[in-house]
Amino acid sequence: MSGELIRAVLLACLAALIALPVGHFAAPWMGWTLFCVSLGLQLAFHFRNFARLDRWSRAPVVDASLEGAGAWDGVFGRLYRHEKDLRAQIDQRDREIAMLIAAGQALTDGVVLLDRNDQILFCNRTAEMQLGLVIRTDRGQPIMNLVRRPEFVAYLKAADFTQPLTLRSDRAEDRVLSIYVIPYAGDRRLMQIKDVTQTDRLDRMRRDFVANVSHELRTPLTVLAGFLETLQEIEVDRDERMRYLSLMSEQSQRMQSIVQDLLTLSSIESAPPPENELVDMATLLDKLRRDAEALSGGKHQIVVDSDGRGDLRGSAAELTSAFGNLVGNAVRYTPAGGTVRLVWKASPQGAEFAVEDTGIGIDPKHIPRLTERFYRVDRGRSRDAGGTGLGLAIVKHSLNRHQAQLDITSTPGKGSRFAARFPASRVADA
Amino acid sequence: MNDSAHLSSQFDEDLSRLRTHVLQMGGLVETQVSAAIDAYSTGEVSSVKHIVETDRRINDLEIAIDDDCAHIIAKRQPAASDLRLVFGISKIVTDLERAGDEAKKIAKGVRRIYEAGQVPSQFGIGVRHIAEAALHMVRDALDAFARLDVEQAHRVINADANVDVEFKSIVRQLITHMMEDPRTITTSIDIIWIARAVERIGDHAKNIAEHVVFIVEGRDIRHPPKEQKA
Repeated sequence: MSGELIRAVLLACLAALIALPVGHFAAPWMGWTLFCVSLGLQLAFHFRNFARLDRWSRAPVVDASLEGAGAWDGVFGRLYRHEKDLRAQIDQRDREIAMLIAAGQALTDGVVLLDRNDQILFCNRTAEMQLGLVIRTDRGQPIMNLVRRPEFVAYLKAADFTQPLTLRSDRAEDRVLSIYVIPYAGDRRLMQIKDVTQTDRLDRMRRDFVANVSHELRTPLTVLAGFLETLQEIEVDRDERMRYLSLMSEQSQRMQSIVQDLLTLSSIESAPPPENELVDMATLLDKLRRDAEALSGGKHQIVVDSDGRGDLRGSAAELTSAFGNLVGNAVRYTPAGGTVRLVWKASPQGAEFAVEDTGIGIDPKHIPRLTERFYRVDRGRSRDAGGTGLGLAIVKHSLNRHQAQLDITSTPGKGSRFAARFPASRVADA
Repeated sequence: MNDSAHLSSQFDEDLSRLRTHVLQMGGLVETQVSAAIDAYSTGEVSSVKHIVETDRRINDLEIAIDDDCAHIIAKRQPAASDLRLVFGISKIVTDLERAGDEAKKIAKGVRRIYEAGQVPSQFGIGVRHIAEAALHMVRDALDAFARLDVEQAHRVINADANVDVEFKSIVRQLITHMMEDPRTITTSIDIIWIARAVERIGDHAKNIAEHVVFIVEGRDIRHPPKEQKA
């Protein structure tokens, strides 16, 4: 800086040195003119560089266009480097921010960032789907404007976030969301949204299971206790007593079969994978048909539809009991005169055992829950038909252990189709 | 200069708070409609009492928000788009309150049917379907208001025609039912009342969407001339 000052003074002195003799020996005005012109040239040089700087500073671009002469070169160079560093830093930050946002997007939980007025700053795709937000247009919108559920609004206003809020989503069908609000950076809030649909369902199933077991066992127990009390307190004649005793033994058998099924279920659940014995399907189908005919007592038509090809690998006992259960259900829930078809089809890609009936059918809304323990479409009827409510749960577990899928289709009033699909690895000689 | 900037930002805050209040009232109405539909399909008569009680809160909110609108107009004398917003809100609130009333009517109808020992679903399965459609319309109309999204508002307005058509077909079905078996007349009429209430909810959602268009574009599209309709 001081160098430039000295240079400017020296240049002025030089101009004066030349101008003085000219002014002295020629005319004074010529001297003055020379002096002024040389100063003017200096000024023009500086002004040109200043104009360059001015133009550049209006739209700083990092290319080679900023070049000056003399002392300006140093200034321009420093400015240029500064700008370049700044840009590099900004690029670096941009990349870091993009990485952070990408990480936020990658979360499987929904995340929404709120400012102190509960306006949306950021939300990831999961949250967009869970709450029906569109971050492109909804940034800056108060979240309560879009998530309007009264319980959510009350939760956010009460600002007591010790417990998460459980919300049944009205945007994503039937999802159950658990919303955590975490204050951060002073008065900002982070909302974390977990999808707890599965846990919620398991919880309900567990509660239902305990309630159902107790209920199922209590009903026969009440009957037993009632008869015992009667027998203790009242003199009854022999015939009456025999009738009571037979009803009592019927109920105790019921309890026994429930306990038996529960034990079967738990033993299947904890047992090692099924052995790989060969199950001869022709024999099995024949046995199933005979059992079905015995159960039906001639009231139904039992048809076996099989080309005799292919056998299964797995536990013969489990598969026999699972298939037998499906056939038994079909006979029980088909009115007299109906038809029950046992269909066996095998190919190198896999095999399918299906039971089709012309029975009462099942309302579609019950089908997803049919294999839950003790789930009953119609409580009274299934108990009359002698079920424990555990049959299909056992079937499903047995099939799962053989990597098979249970596929249920049904039309109320027309009939149902229960199909067990086995993968190729479980099929022999297809 | 500074002072007026401060004043106008306070004004903006007032408007934004007003909008949030309207949308919260809307959320309440949505919940009411959805609860009424659930009561219809599950037969949980116990929820009817809750719906009737909550309706009072909606009425209170309507009065409070209308009051706020009057205050803002008197105190701030808004102009142009702000004035349209306040006017629009005042109309939206009226429609919301009426939609809430219709939800209450549905709930009461459900109670009548179940208390008479009937199950409505075997007569009118279609009701649940249009009820869901109407609920979606209310939700979309409120979303359109929150985002001031004219396109979505137009989608809601167009959806109303479907609800109207389905309502008519439900009525036709039920008339056939009643002619076949006169014992079902009482229940059928109750279901027609419920379907009618659902159809009205759709109409209110459409009105709300029209108010949104008015707020954003300053155009009143409520009663288009005949030739434009085609």
